[in-house]
Amino acid sequence: MLKVEQLTFTQPGQSLSYVYDLEVAPGEIVVVTGVSGAGKSTLLDLIAGFLSPTDGSLSLNETDLLPLPPEKRPLSILFQEDNLFEHLSVAKNLALALTANQGQENERILEALNEVGLGGYGPRRASNLSGGQKQRVALARTLLRNRPVLLLDEPFASLDEKTARDMRALVRCLTDTKQWHTLIVSHAKEDARQLADRLYSLCEGRLNPEVLQVQDPKINRWTPMRPPRATRQGHH
Amino acid sequence: MNNAPPLFRAFDFPRRAIGLTIAASITALMLGIFLAVSRVDIPVSSNSLQPDITHLVRMSLIQAALTTFLSLSVGIALAWALNRLRFFGRPLVVSLFATAIVAPAIVVALGMIAVWGRAGWINQLLAIFSLGWNGSIFGLHGILFAHTILNGAFAAHILLARLQTIPAQKLKTGQSLALSPLRRFLVLDWPVISGALPSLGAIIFLLAFTSFPIVLILGGGPANQTLEVAIYSYVRLSFDLRAALSLALVQLVFCLIIVLPALLATPSLASSGTTRQFHWPDTKGATIAQWAILTLALAGFGLPLLAVLVNGIGPGLFPVLTQNRFWQATITSLSIGAISAFVTLVLALGLTTSRNSFSSPLMRAALALPAFAYLVIPALVLSLGFFLSVRALQIAPSNAAPLVLVLANALLALPFAISVLAPALDAINKRYAKTARSLGLSGFARWRMLEWPLMGREVGIVLAFGFCFSLGDLGVIALFGTSEFSTLPWLMFRALGAYRTNDAAAIASVLLLLTLIVFWALPPLMEKLSHAKS
Repeated sequence: MLKVEQLTFTQPGQSLSYVYDLEVAPGEIVVVTGVSGAGKSTLLDLIAGFLSPTDGSLSLNETDLLPLPPEKRPLSILFQEDNLFEHLSVAKNLALALTANQGQENERILEALNEVGLGGYGPRRASNLSGGQKQRVALARTLLRNRPVLLLDEPFASLDEKTARDMRALVRCLTDTKQWHTLIVSHAKEDARQLADRLYSLCEGRLNPEVLQVQDPKINRWTPMRPPRATRQGHH
Repeated sequence: MNNAPPLFRAFDFPRRAIGLTIAASITALMLGIFLAVSRVDIPVSSNSLQPDITHLVRMSLIQAALTTFLSLSVGIALAWALNRLRFFGRPLVVSLFATAIVAPAIVVALGMIAVWGRAGWINQLLAIFSLGWNGSIFGLHGILFAHTILNGAFAAHILLARLQTIPAQKLKTGQSLALSPLRRFLVLDWPVISGALPSLGAIIFLLAFTSFPIVLILGGGPANQTLEVAIYSYVRLSFDLRAALSLALVQLVFCLIIVLPALLATPSLASSGTTRQFHWPDTKGATIAQWAILTLALAGFGLPLLAVLVNGIGPGLFPVLTQNRFWQATITSLSIGAISAFVTLVLALGLTTSRNSFSSPLMRAALALPAFAYLVIPALVLSLGFFLSVRALQIAPSNAAPLVLVLANALLALPFAISVLAPALDAINKRYAKTARSLGLSGFARWRMLEWPLMGREVGIVLAFGFCFSLGDLGVIALFGTSEFSTLPWLMFRALGAYRTNDAAAIASVLLLLTLIVFWALPPLMEKLSHAKS
């Protein structure tokens, strides 16, 4: 269980303090909504270790995460954009998550790409991918990292509705199968409606539980797409 | 970018007309000088030695190539260190390195002697421990050292600005992926800075190839003479204008061959935008290396400037302040600097705003190229062109000197001014072009309502460039300066030549202080005046 308890942050020069309280269970998706500037991204930055809280605690399965630097925390984080290094190939972007030897690396990268439906995309440059494909590659990297917590910061905001819907299905599927603790911050109602097992709204620096609407039943139908015929198999 | 229907584009007519007129005038001036020079009847000097062009070219190329390599290496290392480290006074240190582009080279050369010369600070420090350094700052190594600290600091400033454009999300992703310092540099930093290296290298090569005061003062004799210094010697010392002209043409051809392709390939040094700062410190080992680099760079660049201030501001300053010629030179320098800065701004604004109103790449290049051509024309060569033209028109050089100084310095600062204004105008255009058109904002109204409020800082930087380039100029004044018509660098150079080192040190300190004040104060002042909030 990921536990955020009285996690407090005060922006220098501002009087308002953010105080966060929430829990995310394995295989659960928690969505936090709020208007721009409400402090949604600040919550993720605190959990990821990019900001230091002034008070409170943060733990995963009773292990205190606060003393850990960002790179040591058991989590992966995805942003709305800039998740990939665009001058590198898809395979090289994924390889950044691995330290294994070359042979195993290639195999695992192919496996992860297949899992997100981008089997033949390894050799492509990241800059040539569409927005949805980039996000799926970023998710494939989180698969390789295999960290139990997944943080998503407005992950579908720049995607068209169909691609966003596919991505939501993929996140749902991966959270269920990998038993990740998934926390999404978003201002899109669709994210909450289609994904949330639990929903919070963020207002005046505090998280408020919201009543959940009935989930869209189509959301669990994620089937990886076949690789396009035009692309080569493999990634080097 | 410019997809508006032709009727809408008619709004841009005044801007286009102004820009094209400026570009045509600049081209005409260049051609006019060339024609005047080619027709002028230059007497052959019988008592001067023929220049050894092969040696001069070889020497110029070697020192410029070494300077470029060393400066880029130092620049990359220093930018890397400054990007990673956070400490009290960091903005001051960053802005100190930024002054490298405007710091008068003659002042830096004097500072180098004050620190590394036989009676310099380093030897005085070593003497305390009964040690001594018998080496000399004069020679090729001295030239390379001075060029590297000056151009290395300049490169670091440009590259640091590039590193700061890396989006925070990318840094956060990199940190959460636990990239090592080396991997971080290769994956995140190198792609951002490598794009700037060809044009940065070209400019550094050009600055070193055409360097005048540093080679003149630290060269240590004919063995290390470069084309630029040889041109000066043939004009001022042996008055062999034919030899000087042939050297000037050789230099111009080399500049064009070597530098123009690199500049055309990547015309802009500016980085595109900035990002919200996110600090990700490196590992302890890398941090120690970064502190070491920063300390060495501060000692290399900061110590000579400090030495100039310490040696100049003291009892030696008062006798200089009582000299009439000092005040005359100061007034001349300030007046010419102010007018040059204004002319630079007007020309640069005319060209860049006009360039922005064209969508055709050919027209955009046609507007910028005449100005960038002055990047490959060394100050001394331009000065020689004016000098010969003025003689051909039978005007006394002393009468033409003020106008020539203003024009030449404005033209020499123009490429730098355009590289500051163009990206800012492009960004404004990208964001507000459609809104401005739908509101019918054009011409002066567009400038007053949209561009000036958002570009105050850039306008300040251009004015500071124009002023400081002119203030520190020795290349143009070297051919026009007399005992009656003098600027501060010329007065300082004459004081050095007459072994009045105290006077030279005092003038150097005044020059440096004026440069620092203007360079640091003008951009924020203009930003405030334009009511811009960055």
